[in-house]
Amino acid sequence: MKSLMVLACAVALTATAFAADHGPVFSYATPVNSEREFSFDTGIFGRNGSRGTQFSTGSGFGYGVTPHLTVNFFLPATFGSGNLPESRIVSGSEWSAGASWRFLHSVTSVGKRIESTASLGLVVPGPQQDSGTLNLHRAPGITGTLVTGMASRSQYIWVGGGYTRFAEASHDKRPDTLSWSAVYGYRPAGLRRGYDQWDYRGFAELTGEHTGAVRAGGLILPNSSSTTLWLGPSVLAIFKDVAIEGGVQGPLFRDASESIYGRERIRFGINLSYLKYSSHTSSH
Amino acid sequence: MKMILVAGFLALSTLAAHAEYEQVNLTVFGMDCAPCAHAIHVSMKGIQGVNSVDVDLNTGLVSIKLTPGNSAAMRQFNEAVEKNGFTHKDASVLVRGQLSGSAQAPFLEVTGTKDRYALAPLATGTNLTGLFGKTVLIEGTLPQSGKGKVSGTLRYKSVTEAK
Repeated sequence: MKSLMVLACAVALTATAFAADHGPVFSYATPVNSEREFSFDTGIFGRNGSRGTQFSTGSGFGYGVTPHLTVNFFLPATFGSGNLPESRIVSGSEWSAGASWRFLHSVTSVGKRIESTASLGLVVPGPQQDSGTLNLHRAPGITGTLVTGMASRSQYIWVGGGYTRFAEASHDKRPDTLSWSAVYGYRPAGLRRGYDQWDYRGFAELTGEHTGAVRAGGLILPNSSSTTLWLGPSVLAIFKDVAIEGGVQGPLFRDASESIYGRERIRFGINLSYLKYSSHTSSH
Repeated sequence: MKMILVAGFLALSTLAAHAEYEQVNLTVFGMDCAPCAHAIHVSMKGIQGVNSVDVDLNTGLVSIKLTPGNSAAMRQFNEAVEKNGFTHKDASVLVRGQLSGSAQAPFLEVTGTKDRYALAPLATGTNLTGLFGKTVLIEGTLPQSGKGKVSGTLRYKSVTEAK
């Protein structure tokens, strides 16, 4: 197990990046990249259950096409197997590419924004085979998310949901997944400091997922759908263009067949971000 | 030697008369975190002629000091805010330019740029007579403008002949 963790961390740290938008670890949030901003993120996520631990590392890139439109892609890899239900909150081994459009952006005062962001993406199977219950023929899918909320110097609130639908491959079909999240963030008064100092904030993240039934060989696998609800804290620390965030979640509610999936106990994640802002300006 | 001195004097005279922004203090709404401020800092520093930038996250004030002889335009400062997804509000400026027009309809032309402002007093009492056609130093406020636009009016607090 130790060597697995070391390997996973090494890959995470040397990989090029995945964009978590320097916000919460598990939940949906509204921020997108600035125009011409590159974001590079890399992280490691873990899911531990009665049948083992599954790690996934994610490396992603984002680019701000306009101040409100970001294109991104994500290259994950998984290690170990927990025979766990499908999840879109914690990444698996799917490669994905998509775009996020912040279609509502209302600036109400110094430091405060109310905004909504919609994302649409394509999910394709990576070179790795999923293991355990999901050892199926895999086909691409499409995913969409919608999130709305408020950001300010002191508090953050975001509520969002997402849906992923997979196509069928050789009479197998991965379960469609409905995900949702609500997050509250707080930055204490003493930490509302200058931008040339470390910026910290804490989050309470509530996430949930419902996965549909797995279809294998044209037959529905009985009791293969699942519904879970997770809650836990996370912390984000940023210094100018570098961010590190980490969080952990425990189950609030589980409706998943233990004979198929075992008993998932804990989820955790650590993410590193590098934000490369553009100094380009037009000439007058 | 004399010619060098004359040339040097002329060069200094030109520099002194150069129309330019000396300082811009821009209020920006929507910045909640350190990377927001860092993004603004990087964008502003990318404008040619910007000497220093300070961002106060708690007041939203972005203070920009410019080097002598710069030709930065107000539109560039606004764009630097907009490209990062924020909103610019009023800006207080210290700007050098040529006073034109008439006492009823005075204008400031920042000749190093394409910026031209109709002048309106913030308070009564400032007499512009005798300054027309001269290079002046103005301290004033540019009201908030829409996205991609710059206010056409500069509300001046003080107007003095540039030394």
